[in-house]
Amino acid sequence: MAASHTRAVRNVPWRSIGKIFIVIFCVLFLTLPFIEMVKAMIADPQLLVRQLLIGLTNGAYIALIALGYTLVYGIVELINFAHGDLYMLGAFFSLTLIGTFALTPETPWLVRGPLLLVVLIATMAFTATLNMLVDRWAYRKLRGVGSRMAALISAIGISFIFQNLGLLWGYLRLPFMHGVMGSNAVAPKSFPALFPNVNLLAGTGVRFGAKDLIVVGVSVVLLAALYIFVTRTRLGKAMRATAQDRDAAALMGIDVNRTISLAFILGGALAGASGMLVGLYNGTAVFDMGFTAGLRSFTAAVLGGIGNIVGAMLGGLLIGIISAMSDQYISTKWTNAVVFGILVIILVFRPTGLLGDDTAQKA
Amino acid sequence: MQIRIRTSMIGAAFGFAIALISGGFAGIFAGLVAGLISGYVVPQAEPLTDKRRAVGQGMIAALVGSVMTILGIVLRNMGIDPIIGEPLNILAVGIAIIGATILCVLVCVVMCVVRTEPPARERIGMAIVVGIILVTYPWLDQFLNLRFMNEVIPVLVFLLMALGLNIVVGYAGLLDLGYAAFFAIGAYAAAMVSSPHFGLSLSFWLAIWVAAATAAIFGLILGSPTLPLRGDYLAIVTLGFGEIVPIAIKNLDKVSLSIWNYPLFVDVDLTGGTKGINPINRPWLPIIGEFSPSNPIPWYFLILGIMLISIFFISRLRNSRLGRAWTALREDELAAGAMGINTVNVKLLAFAIGATFSGLAGAFYGAYISAIFPESFRFDVSVMLLCMVILGGLGNMSGVILGGIIIQFADRLFLPQMSNVVQKLIVASGNESLRDINFASDFRLLLFGLTLVLMMVLRPQGLVPSNGAPRVLPVAAGEARHD
Repeated sequence: MAASHTRAVRNVPWRSIGKIFIVIFCVLFLTLPFIEMVKAMIADPQLLVRQLLIGLTNGAYIALIALGYTLVYGIVELINFAHGDLYMLGAFFSLTLIGTFALTPETPWLVRGPLLLVVLIATMAFTATLNMLVDRWAYRKLRGVGSRMAALISAIGISFIFQNLGLLWGYLRLPFMHGVMGSNAVAPKSFPALFPNVNLLAGTGVRFGAKDLIVVGVSVVLLAALYIFVTRTRLGKAMRATAQDRDAAALMGIDVNRTISLAFILGGALAGASGMLVGLYNGTAVFDMGFTAGLRSFTAAVLGGIGNIVGAMLGGLLIGIISAMSDQYISTKWTNAVVFGILVIILVFRPTGLLGDDTAQKA
Repeated sequence: MQIRIRTSMIGAAFGFAIALISGGFAGIFAGLVAGLISGYVVPQAEPLTDKRRAVGQGMIAALVGSVMTILGIVLRNMGIDPIIGEPLNILAVGIAIIGATILCVLVCVVMCVVRTEPPARERIGMAIVVGIILVTYPWLDQFLNLRFMNEVIPVLVFLLMALGLNIVVGYAGLLDLGYAAFFAIGAYAAAMVSSPHFGLSLSFWLAIWVAAATAAIFGLILGSPTLPLRGDYLAIVTLGFGEIVPIAIKNLDKVSLSIWNYPLFVDVDLTGGTKGINPINRPWLPIIGEFSPSNPIPWYFLILGIMLISIFFISRLRNSRLGRAWTALREDELAAGAMGINTVNVKLLAFAIGATFSGLAGAFYGAYISAIFPESFRFDVSVMLLCMVILGGLGNMSGVILGGIIIQFADRLFLPQMSNVVQKLIVASGNESLRDINFASDFRLLLFGLTLVLMMVLRPQGLVPSNGAPRVLPVAAGEARHD
């Protein structure tokens, strides 16, 4: 909406000076490396498939986090900056529970499986509650007054508070936790290897482990559940109505604040699940891992079209694959810059994203 | 009455905190600061016209300030020091209490009275009071054995950046989350031309202009793609740039650049990678000679000078045609465009001018510590600057300075010093489990985060609201929603 307005008022070519800059930069400096990259991909297809599978696993958890951004943005148009850190807290909470239950790689599967499920559900409940409370205390009062800048600044503040909580969590060495937090509070925490590490595609030269399957499987189940919830249930319908027009939804008898809380609860639960899955998959969690993960997921949400649930899943998958490719063919050092670059390019050239609808244009 | 006491608590809290972290005669300084800040903030909250009322108000504020300061002195010298095993010097405590009270009352009342003068004389009076304190500070520091000097200089550097960020966020209403990038760009530009890194050992006095110009150019380049964006999307894109710049700096230690098949240069070490650039030339002046790292006084006056010139420029800019255009842009971009303001140029100028001050700060900082590393310019620096701007009051220069002093004081002086004291207390109490908590660094993020959230929820206009507070924050009810 805003974009079309400004275009109507002032059609200065200077307005697109930034786009011109970016295009010139890309053509001059990035074309040749890109061609080299494609050549390298074709030269070794097995490596390509391996990276694609890594991208698939990464994409699954990125999609889970991205959904939290999209759900909240779709309804209240707030970039919930603290969402990535919520994911980090999810990982810490699940690690604490794993320590409490004294789960080790030696625990028999009959015990380990159900307990892991309990940990997953408890973690999701924890992050969901936390997200709901944060919404109530830090964002609700700022809704609808002035511009959205105040709520965004508040969200940045919450993000920092969460990070600090994660840091202090490292000092938590209660006797029943079986020392899962290690001796150094600030250092990365290591998870026990609870997921089986067998290669399901052994003999093909490509790696897709059982733990990859678990991550992808749990993610897909959660994503499907969310999709059905939003599209098929009454509460989901209320969410969609509130996203479309908050005032009209309120007039139709929808409790808007409760519906917004619901979006925060659902987003929080998915972030918690993602935190636990990634913690177990990678084996580590650090208090500042939420920032990068959050920005990657936000990029995914924007890429798919923010406010669009299917878009977030697609965006997550794409960002997962792109970062896996960048890790392999460019350099891990540059991957973050590549993702941020993509974010900038989408926001500048196509703020509605791939499957964008109108909500994105309100920015 | 209630409001007056609440406002004077800002100064009083400073007095208490400084007295608490520094024992001995330093309490006198705590009283001075309490008086200075109370004397500044109290008349700001409620305009004074009558001299006798001003004296009365100043007395009340000073009373609150000195009571808190004395409380701090007593708590430090008689509560904490005996536990951590430092000798109690009753004479020093007595002198500190008396000195603190006298200075606090004197400064606070004088500043309140000065405020009743007509604007032109008021400004001169304020300048004299603040000027005397600023100019005598280095010797006061030595005399009272405060040892704050090495921290005061970086505080001023960050204040300078906060003033620059205030142009972008406060005046023009463009939420920039990657502002630290310009600090990095300025610091690296200055370091490249005034160090043996490229063999170009320019003087600091030239390098600082190179830094300012480079930062301004990057302000234009990085600002230009964000022109069509608003609000939170703008914030996220600037954040993206703010992250790309340090990553690029870290990895540009072996650059080969070619346009198609024509190599421009091969394997050039542009930024020194993670090792940074080290050493960087220090400034040189006749009489003083080369500024030495062991003597902070010339550095102090140099950054103070840069600050004062910047404040002068920014306040002139604020009231210029461009400054008013920024305000118009911030309030309503559409209407501003319709009124004939060239929104593109005005936005780009906000980015460029804001970046310039950050570049200056970067050049100074690099020369001061004589080395720069890519890690010193991350997102938390940008957020800290944002905290400083928001705490004091968006768009209000004196508010930004106050907010900046509060955040920087807490981050650089109060938390580390308190951490020492708490550490000693923990050792004295014999509690082993708390021993490895580092109070200096483990609560920093919480400090920034709480500042942002509490300010937004409780007092979005900042501690010292400007009379034309920006509408981008929820100041008044019943504002038009912008979507």
